[in-house]
Amino acid sequence: MKKVLLILFVVFTTSTLSSQNYKFGEVSKEELQEKVYPLDSSANAAILYKERKTSFEYVPNEGFNVITQVFLRLKIYNKEGFDWATNKISYYNSSNGREKISGLKAITYNLEKNKIVETKLNRKDVFDEELNKYWSQQKFTMPNIKEGSVIEWRYKLISPFKRIDDVQFQYGIPVKKMNASVEIPEYFIYKKQFKGYYPVFAKTETKSRSINFTEKERDVRDINSRATFSNVKIDLLSNLETYEVSNVPALIEEAYVNNIENYKTAIQYEYSELHWPRQPIKYYSHSWEDVTKTIYNNYNFGSEIYKSNHYSDDLAVILAAAKTDSEKIIGIFELVKQKVKWNKYNGITKFNGTRQAYKEAVGNVFDINLNLVSMLNKAGLKANPVILSTRAHGISFFPTIDGFNYVIAAVELPEGLVLLDATEQYSTPNILPFRTLNGEGRLIRDDGSSETVSLNPVKPAGIVTVLKVEIDEEGTIEGQNRTNYLNHQALSYREKYAAIDNDDIVVKLEEKKGGLEISDFELSGKKETYKPVMETYKFYSENSIDVVGDKIFFKPLFFEATTTSPFKLKKREYPINFGTTSSSKTLVNITIPEGYVIESVPESINVKLPNNYGSYRYHISTSGNVINVNSQFKINTINYPVVNYDEMKEFYKMIIAKNLEQVVLKKES
Amino acid sequence: MKNLRIAPFFILLFTNFIYSQEYNFNISEIPSSLKKDANSVIRFENFSINIESQRKMTVTTKKAVTVFNKLGDKNKYVTVNYDSNTKIKDIKILIFDALGNEIKKVKNKEYKDVSQVDGGTLYADSRMLYYEHVPTSYPYTIFYETEIETFNTAFIPRWYPINNFFTGVQLSTFKIKHSANLTINFIESNFTNFNVLVAKEKELVTYKIENVKPIRYEPLIPSLRKMFPNVKVVSNQFFVEGILGEASNWKELGKWEYDNLYKNVSVVPTSTKEKVLKLVEGIEDPIEKAKLIYQYVQDKTRYISVQVGIGGLRPMLASDVDKLGYGDCKALTNYTKSLLDIVGVESYFTELYGGFDKMDMDFKTPSIQGNHVILNIPNEGNDIWLECTNQKVPFGYIANFTDDRDVIVVKPEGGVLKRTKKYSTKDNLQFTKGAFEINELGEIQAKVRIEASGTQYNNHLFRYDGEHQKELDLLVKKYFSNINNMNISKIEVNNNKEEARYEEDIEFSAANYGVLTNQQMLISINAFNKNTSIPKRVRDRKLPVEISRGFLDIDEVVIKLPVNFKVEYLPQDVEVKSKFGMYSVVIKKINSNTYLYKRKLQVNEGKYEKEDYELYRDFRKNIKKHDNSKIVLIK
Repeated sequence: MKKVLLILFVVFTTSTLSSQNYKFGEVSKEELQEKVYPLDSSANAAILYKERKTSFEYVPNEGFNVITQVFLRLKIYNKEGFDWATNKISYYNSSNGREKISGLKAITYNLEKNKIVETKLNRKDVFDEELNKYWSQQKFTMPNIKEGSVIEWRYKLISPFKRIDDVQFQYGIPVKKMNASVEIPEYFIYKKQFKGYYPVFAKTETKSRSINFTEKERDVRDINSRATFSNVKIDLLSNLETYEVSNVPALIEEAYVNNIENYKTAIQYEYSELHWPRQPIKYYSHSWEDVTKTIYNNYNFGSEIYKSNHYSDDLAVILAAAKTDSEKIIGIFELVKQKVKWNKYNGITKFNGTRQAYKEAVGNVFDINLNLVSMLNKAGLKANPVILSTRAHGISFFPTIDGFNYVIAAVELPEGLVLLDATEQYSTPNILPFRTLNGEGRLIRDDGSSETVSLNPVKPAGIVTVLKVEIDEEGTIEGQNRTNYLNHQALSYREKYAAIDNDDIVVKLEEKKGGLEISDFELSGKKETYKPVMETYKFYSENSIDVVGDKIFFKPLFFEATTTSPFKLKKREYPINFGTTSSSKTLVNITIPEGYVIESVPESINVKLPNNYGSYRYHISTSGNVINVNSQFKINTINYPVVNYDEMKEFYKMIIAKNLEQVVLKKES
Repeated sequence: MKNLRIAPFFILLFTNFIYSQEYNFNISEIPSSLKKDANSVIRFENFSINIESQRKMTVTTKKAVTVFNKLGDKNKYVTVNYDSNTKIKDIKILIFDALGNEIKKVKNKEYKDVSQVDGGTLYADSRMLYYEHVPTSYPYTIFYETEIETFNTAFIPRWYPINNFFTGVQLSTFKIKHSANLTINFIESNFTNFNVLVAKEKELVTYKIENVKPIRYEPLIPSLRKMFPNVKVVSNQFFVEGILGEASNWKELGKWEYDNLYKNVSVVPTSTKEKVLKLVEGIEDPIEKAKLIYQYVQDKTRYISVQVGIGGLRPMLASDVDKLGYGDCKALTNYTKSLLDIVGVESYFTELYGGFDKMDMDFKTPSIQGNHVILNIPNEGNDIWLECTNQKVPFGYIANFTDDRDVIVVKPEGGVLKRTKKYSTKDNLQFTKGAFEINELGEIQAKVRIEASGTQYNNHLFRYDGEHQKELDLLVKKYFSNINNMNISKIEVNNNKEEARYEEDIEFSAANYGVLTNQQMLISINAFNKNTSIPKRVRDRKLPVEISRGFLDIDEVVIKLPVNFKVEYLPQDVEVKSKFGMYSVVIKKINSNTYLYKRKLQVNEGKYEKEDYELYRDFRKNIKKHDNSKIVLIK
């Protein structure tokens, strides 16, 4: 028997000595009387108890079903918590079978005149809804919900597939106590993936049981022979894991988190091996290499890449014009973008397939980027697919097939790897769409070997702004602006504005820059993906600086000043993820009105985040009636550790304070 | 358990006849005047309705839209709704490229069949068949033809030839054929500024509009329905969810509705009856009784919508709401009414359009319309309106969702036309009272109380009520976005239902509020209520201006300055008056380093000419300028 290895976490066992009764139907008065959750008074609801048991049941002639029993007791403290009284249970159907929900029982408890009143959920108030071809949902909302209600429901989910739902320990509301168990017969090996920050600990034991097994046998030497059936009593071992947790805090969303689901404590199970008696072991996934290989073979990467007839004429035209490798890459990349449009579906399996997608001009991520790999190969370049998980899909901490949902293309050149994603019109080599910037992916070669590649952008997202400003004695400012957008900044600029008229961009800019009036607006590289994006315009504003008596005050960065911090939380629980490194530089040249002298200007500064994670430099100089400012902001890391959160707050505080500081001009007497 | 499934097998019966030869969708055929400012152009739309009898109607749509860019991609969806009373007879979709070549014919398997459940609904039995085109290049033309057949004749689709901005219309026609046995009414709106051709024959009426240039979206405009032409068709004889009806005036329709939808749904269990009678024991005043019942319903119920069959029109039984503790607007209104009946308070179902836009019921011709139900208490001529789906708002509070609009009150003897309560500019008051102190490093210590009523009550309730402290912290920081480095020590929010007022008490400090420069310090005088947003600039405005609701902000703030600084400059008192409202600031010295800052901002509700837009912007610019005023201190 193979033992599933467990990652052990630090344990905090709390010995609950309370006299709570966690049987269905035995809700106590104390629970109904409770006004707030003792450990978090602002919780709108709390899970008082959750029990979740998963086991395998043998059905003669059918095989094993996975049975998951759920029992939940939940307290609703106020009206905001009412949403928790609605439950949706998803179940899966396919041509190979259906999942079933059985034994649903649900009760609402209220305290009326110091007596517990029960209201049962009626079957007619339970609805089934088909979400799509595969997934359906059973939905209900509990009757007679009031502030203070306690609700309970229990049901069984029976799956003929070997699907085990995630065991989730953490929610948007606190969990007072939860018990979970997963019992898996020795034949089935599952890969487990733990995620989240809140530690949980499994106790494991081995149990034995016996089943009446119907065995089908056929003489292997004669394929026409009849199968014979016989009943055998078989003893088998099961691995039982049990979890007991209590007082799990609620998980609340924060800004700049790559995906909050990465941090909700849960265990995911993925079916990886079948050890059927007297049969060779069947592998579904194992190491990253195995997982990658399984995906490559089972999802037909090789054969989809091999298909090439559909595009050979178009490719020949491109290759005839391209001389260098990089011309070939760009030519092919743009050809695929133009020929096949993305239907917004992710996936590491085909939607239409490479050929069909090319013909119909529509496909999912797989169809598009495998066409790309195929053409690059045909052109003699060393190209391969890279599978990854999008930001919205979360990060996979253990090797699992479900850990991937996206595929891009990579070309190996002597100077390094070039990553390409042809689903996004304005993406360029190594400037991938933001959704894919999620750490690492795996490059798969056609011999099945694979390796980890970093998806992190090499070049920082950049903005360079040059301002020339003239001030008159009325406090009116007039000037010219030139802004360049680089790398990911160019990509997001195009995603936002390429479809919009320049006139409308001006309106948006005027609003963003605090009511400037903009004229002579020019934009180059709006749609020309391989040219930089450059905005130039003239501006005019009457009210943006203060004329007070014989003095004039203004922020020398004007409307380009950073005046608010994105980090407003007092304390932060999760790391900051920026997706890309970045740099923004602003150069300002200011001419002051005649008859005025410079009384004071802010001091220059230079500040840094720990480990050079980021820096800010502000330099100001004057000569005669001209002031020059050079402001440079840099973030040099993609992930910023949460332990240094206070430094980040302080960093922004200093930047803002500096950006708000004023230049003072004085009338010459 | 319910398991309503409508199998989509009928799709297989659709024929796939190709029409492409009949049309020329080359974009060069579009007049260039229609292309300017267009994200899409409707090449033609032939919308026809045949009301064959009181129980049978077919609706046919033939439409072709050319889409020029991503922003016109709303048109890439073709959707057809159906349910057990409505059958999809036919659907076909073809896609053409810029030159008018057919590039795709949509196959049956490419349609998706989904439930029409929206966010607030737990379950509904209506379904939707749809196709989403993935544009491979622009421009493209999507052409489709659909035909549905329905038993329901109470809801006849409206003709709405221009229902979007940035959309040109080459041709749109609307044809209504009907049986001679039916009395059909046509309600034509906003025809004046548009050239709509009408041809009326016996049993056949045709409308046509041609060559409408795209209209640009502009801020602060009346709703589309009030500006652009549309035709509503109503049959005096109708059939809905298995019930026949006939009405030629509101009185008759109201009576039909009462008899068929609202009667016999009000029974509640005896125990509840006794409970509410006990609740109002000893109280004579019907309004006081109603308040207690309203509170009782608010405590007992919540809004959950389930729409199945006639349940889309007829309220769920009061006894079911009593048992389940939830329901949709009809169900909860009916429940409240049933309890009011028991305690002897007169009340009536009221049908209307709910929403921030003040959309009126169409009084001209009686028809089943609206999307919401509230309760009317006549109160001897001083109508009280009760929103029964909200557990938080005070008795009789209806701002921002059902206020100031034409409604139908359904009485047993028939329908009555009324208008709901209007919230005046002065009702919509936000009163900010507070104090702040600046120390010599520029740090601010502040204490402020904000009280909001009228429409502003609703805004604050929606933003803050029931939020977690951690969320509140961020929301308050967002509200005071002009202040950095905020360290909040107290946030208390209170829904004062008695006074219909939302109250917030906030205390905080923040470093660097006063900006130190050399020997000087700059302090923004308006810390708590800066109004710096100015409506976007619109070059060459075309549409009229509407400010749908007015408001009044009054601020009173005591400002204490650091003692070791001298005031070098203090902003002057201001008074700005305009037809859009008024703004004033008065600063009074209390002692050597303490001042009282009094600010008033009033914006009036109103309808204005397009030329007034720039004047309104000037008014707001002026306010912004004064709200940005600073005190200058010197050491």
